[in-house]
Amino acid sequence: MSPAAGPDLSMFNRFSKTFRKGDIIFCEYEPGDTFYLIQSGRVQVVRIIGELEKNIAILNPGDYFGEMSILENVPRSATTIALDDVKALEFSRENFEVLTLGNPQIALKLLKGFVQRIYAQKRTFMILTLDDVEAKVADVFLMLAENQSTDTTSVDTIEFKNTVDDLSHWAGIPSGQCREVLNHFVAQRRIELYPDRIVVKNINDFARFVNSRRKHQEK
Amino acid sequence: MSPKAVQYRSNSIIYFKGDQSDRIFLLNSGKVSLSSVDIETGQEVRDMIKMGEFFGVKSALGRYMREETAIVMQDSAVMVFSVPEFEQVASKNTRIITKMLTVFSNQLRRIHRQVQNLMVSDEQVNPETGLYKIGEYYLKNKRFGQALYAYKRYLVYYPTGAYATDVTSKIVQSEEFLSRYGSGAPTGPSSGPAPASPGPAVHAAAAPAAAASAENSELAQQYYNSVSLVSQEKYLEAFKAFKKILDGGPDPEYTAKAEFEMAKCLFYLKQYDNCIKSFTAIAQKFPKHPELKEALFFVGRSYEEKGDKVKAGGLYKKIISMGAEDDPVVRKVKKALRALEGEKA
Repeated sequence: MSPAAGPDLSMFNRFSKTFRKGDIIFCEYEPGDTFYLIQSGRVQVVRIIGELEKNIAILNPGDYFGEMSILENVPRSATTIALDDVKALEFSRENFEVLTLGNPQIALKLLKGFVQRIYAQKRTFMILTLDDVEAKVADVFLMLAENQSTDTTSVDTIEFKNTVDDLSHWAGIPSGQCREVLNHFVAQRRIELYPDRIVVKNINDFARFVNSRRKHQEK
Repeated sequence: MSPKAVQYRSNSIIYFKGDQSDRIFLLNSGKVSLSSVDIETGQEVRDMIKMGEFFGVKSALGRYMREETAIVMQDSAVMVFSVPEFEQVASKNTRIITKMLTVFSNQLRRIHRQVQNLMVSDEQVNPETGLYKIGEYYLKNKRFGQALYAYKRYLVYYPTGAYATDVTSKIVQSEEFLSRYGSGAPTGPSSGPAPASPGPAVHAAAAPAAAASAENSELAQQYYNSVSLVSQEKYLEAFKAFKKILDGGPDPEYTAKAEFEMAKCLFYLKQYDNCIKSFTAIAQKFPKHPELKEALFFVGRSYEEKGDKVKAGGLYKKIISMGAEDDPVVRKVKKALRALEGEKA
């Protein structure tokens, strides 16, 4: 099979599994050694943090999940739920090798996925290591802008479809504290706060603010 | 274009931290060291590249800035790849990718842990408690199917764990709620697909009867194995084994049987409230159950164990009124009633 042809996975039909809408595919903390490639339907990835179920991602056909457990013996780091009736290929550690051998494009896709995740985590780490809470929250906006791949050199105002809870999660601070910071930003007219979105008036102003705090901290 | 072989002199720099480039390198000979700063400690870290090892992969693949400086320690021969060239080579030798996947997943785990450590709200939980809490969360939010999944997995991994008894009773509870209220999904616990039958697949379309009977005898086997656990007094294991039968989907014969046996196990597990609930549900569902008297007897005994002698006595009398004089159950119940009344006197 030529790599350009796109993955032909019909030979893997015997690994096919179906899940009904609402089924948990696997649970956070469960030991796991299987990895899934979605063929049809959507899968929601969630984590239960305190009393809240946080949506981490919604995966579509062609996406994969559970790939961490296949490489190391560690518990699942999130819960996955079938959002529709889902058909997926389930691979174990053993037949994962077979899959990658026959389908290097899938293996490469996985590899690139890992790279992105490592950088995303490092970026989060940068936010969390800031001492100043306001700088943390401002840096979350910068990160979100990077993820939207907005060119901040030409734009000042950016709208984020995020909530206070999202911000508090990324900043690693309690949501009450996060709200205080955001209210302060509102008072300074740096942001506008709506129930379903937040508008940052001048993202470059936040960039300067965060950089100066980080430099100050390094001294 | 194809990969280029490049010679580097000792002390030269292949790339600097902060550079952006899509080049990937492979060390053929010599010595190259990667110098980076640990994000946690701020300390300089040096990693020696082994011969035959790739470097600069992450930043090139992800189009990020280089995070380290690659310093040549000894005259070196290096192959330089563009990303497409690298992909081509790796596609032909997927072991390269598999190896990198392991390295990257380790890095990801590490940074993930570091991030978690900084999250104020996220205290570290051990997997056992974590799994239990997920069940609790979904039960509390009335998502019974999902609660059931978490609880059942808990029992699989921690059959004698700290929450095992609680989980066992909550499984029963969730099942009941599920059958009463449903979960949006088709009723019946659905922890994923029915297990594929092992061995050569029977073509269902060609021989549906054969497939069904094969499945049936498998189910019968499963059922009798579970009953044997009861006779060995391994009630928790038996409970789980019966549960598995229910998970396989409804069956005209074994579903009811398994439900009955599970309720019995609950009695021996001293889960009296749940035992009462389960048998009451069974009695309501199957008012003509052949073993109805037996079921009510367990309910009575549960009340007795709980210290409710009035209810227990009432039930015993009711059972006696239901059966013939020489019915073995009736005889057992009479004995129990005498003991109960003797105690009262």
